[in-house]
Amino acid sequence: MKIAIEELAGCSGCTISVLDLHEQILSLIQQAEIVYSPVIMDVKEPPEGIDIAFVTGAVRNEENQERLKTIRKRSKKLVALGTCACYGGISGLSMLSNSVDIFRCVYQEVETGKAGNPLPQEVPSFLYRTFAVGDIAKVDYYITGCPPKEKYLQTILPALVKGDTVQLSKKSVCSECDRVMGSVDKWHLRRRHEGIPDREHCLLGQGYLCLGSVTFGRCGAACPHHNIPCQGCNGPSLDILREPCRDIFNMMIRRIADLTGIPQKSLEKEMYDVAHVMYPYTIGSLIMEDKEISHIRDLIKEGSSQ
Amino acid sequence: MTQISINPVTRIEGHAQVLIDLDSTGNVQKAHFKVVELRGFEKFLVGAAVEEAPRITPRICGICPTSHHVASAMALDQIYGVEPPPTGKALRELLMLGQYIHSHALHFFMLAAPDYLIGHEASRGERNVLGLVKVNPDLAKKAIEVRKTGQRITEAVGGKPIHPATAVPGGMSHHLDDAHKSALYDMVKGSLAIARDGWAIARELMEKTDITFATITTGFMGLSNQGTFSFQDGSVQVIGADRTAIGSFRGTEYLNYIEEYSEAWSYLKFCRRIGGEYYRVGPLARLNLVNRMGTPSADEALKEYRAKFGEFVQSTLAYNIARYIEFLWACERALQLLGDPIVTGDKTRIAVDTVKNRRGVGIIEAPRGTLIHDYTVSEGGIIEKCNLIVATCQNNYAIDRGVEQIARGVVANGTLTESGTNRIEMAIRAYDPCLSCATHALGQMPLRIQINQNLEECRR
Repeated sequence: MKIAIEELAGCSGCTISVLDLHEQILSLIQQAEIVYSPVIMDVKEPPEGIDIAFVTGAVRNEENQERLKTIRKRSKKLVALGTCACYGGISGLSMLSNSVDIFRCVYQEVETGKAGNPLPQEVPSFLYRTFAVGDIAKVDYYITGCPPKEKYLQTILPALVKGDTVQLSKKSVCSECDRVMGSVDKWHLRRRHEGIPDREHCLLGQGYLCLGSVTFGRCGAACPHHNIPCQGCNGPSLDILREPCRDIFNMMIRRIADLTGIPQKSLEKEMYDVAHVMYPYTIGSLIMEDKEISHIRDLIKEGSSQ
Repeated sequence: MTQISINPVTRIEGHAQVLIDLDSTGNVQKAHFKVVELRGFEKFLVGAAVEEAPRITPRICGICPTSHHVASAMALDQIYGVEPPPTGKALRELLMLGQYIHSHALHFFMLAAPDYLIGHEASRGERNVLGLVKVNPDLAKKAIEVRKTGQRITEAVGGKPIHPATAVPGGMSHHLDDAHKSALYDMVKGSLAIARDGWAIARELMEKTDITFATITTGFMGLSNQGTFSFQDGSVQVIGADRTAIGSFRGTEYLNYIEEYSEAWSYLKFCRRIGGEYYRVGPLARLNLVNRMGTPSADEALKEYRAKFGEFVQSTLAYNIARYIEFLWACERALQLLGDPIVTGDKTRIAVDTVKNRRGVGIIEAPRGTLIHDYTVSEGGIIEKCNLIVATCQNNYAIDRGVEQIARGVVANGTLTESGTNRIEMAIRAYDPCLSCATHALGQMPLRIQINQNLEECRR
């Protein structure tokens, strides 16, 4: 059994999450040979005959695209590992402006930069947008998470290597959260940093935009458990993924309206910074953008025309 | 044009190329460290609700997310005009210590050690942490154990081992309970014993260190708390290549010292001092700036380090030893802190409401060097301007020159051997570069070594 880990546009956190199997990695490498993983070893190109390739990161430039094509050809099974590979991840936020504006900002306009600094030219070009791996290559399995959690990788990876299937929860973050709904009589929207939320009650019920109900679980509701509203880093919940008429934004609005009785229209008006608050991990996903009710298209258009 | 490319250069975080131009006789004309990735966080954070920054910026890097998380939260403290309570501060320090233990152990044992313990002549398939499992299983297990300790601290304090979430403006969102504290205390105790034993390995490497390898003479920059090692307290000290004190800064004063320039052939910006002098950051710089580490074993190690390299060190490979001393320090300091009841206090944060200052600057020593997050926000707390100064940009010039120096030595008659390739990679690896951090990258490409021979040579 030969396995490989490829890195596209991302942060290497998913490779670290594999190392975070800790001592269990020793038994994993007895059953499977890691033949390629540039962060941890010196093999320079993915070899032929890979049984399972884990691809992490989004596809943002031509080089990412080429690497994805190569590893797809050389592997029997391809796993999109992590939220960037599954939904574009945080790199998708770069679509909020065009690449020329990004370059000018980074090299010339930041306060330590200079107007005369050259813009890089002899470097790979960006594609016209961010893609998730599944937008341009056949994916056999998806493992979401930013990054995927140790507890689940401990179950998933040995099973994949053996060719077994495992039954895991397909529910949302809320299903793993221990909070209960409190009173919503005086509900008003709060920014995520305002005040100190109480530890017992639902964060959404307390006025915070906690994305738990629209986000796929398998994180143990780590953020709500630590008194932090969910930011959606595991990607959309299955109902949103499957239903064309459900999207992160509209399901959040609908849920708050159901909870509080406040009309949806007035809630929509209250929402702020929808790109970074609602879509930071999914804005680069073609599947999420293609929903008729998605706000992603408008956000990209607005940003890139500025 | 003849191109010999080695693709990717490995056991570093992120992706880039080394480009070596040869003259007609097959000798090195010039060589560059070329990074081909950019993500543009400085641009796409503009327009963001600023409270989202501490959770978006860790995604710059999966190896040192905590540094971005905490630097970002520190900038937010200033924007909301609050000082975290003592327990909040202590928990942030503990979170950073978890990061140092994991990141430095990862680099020393898993990324760099294979060069020394397995060697240049070993095959590519063997010279890595998995090879280490075969040749020295006991050491590999210990490396796994200590890195696990670091990640467990981060998980307990930060909510998650990678991309922690609990640092908020005003402190920390979650308190550490006694059960977790005791479990961490025991783990750190075990790791400290491993770290103390491991000094024998680091010492052996130190004795064998080639002090001229990829060495370059530069100034240095880093935090120092009145001569004692610190990654969060005190001010950033700036010293010249001849060890003269140039100055020190806090907050926006960094703008008086640092400028960035770019080259058309790389996405990675270069930092230098205003006025043009080059400087380096990270473990080598920090140890050059302090008188003492402040913990017993690390101070002993520092003495030995100075007996070998001197009080003021320019040697590039000394980075690896300096990094080990910091790792040892982080284990000792974590044990001290976990023995202090302050970490289990209830008051972890102060509530914040509206923007009090339109600008906030968080400065911290990330494992790889000085990290600056500078945000300017609207009255409503929306980011209007953002500047991120990260370690690897500041070391970019030194890495670039080190690569050329080694390339001149190992390329002969237009050919580059496998072990020569690894020597060039070692010059890069010494800095433990983090290219995702350095470019806050948009799309990336692996570190390649390419040799460009001019066309005539190719035809011959």
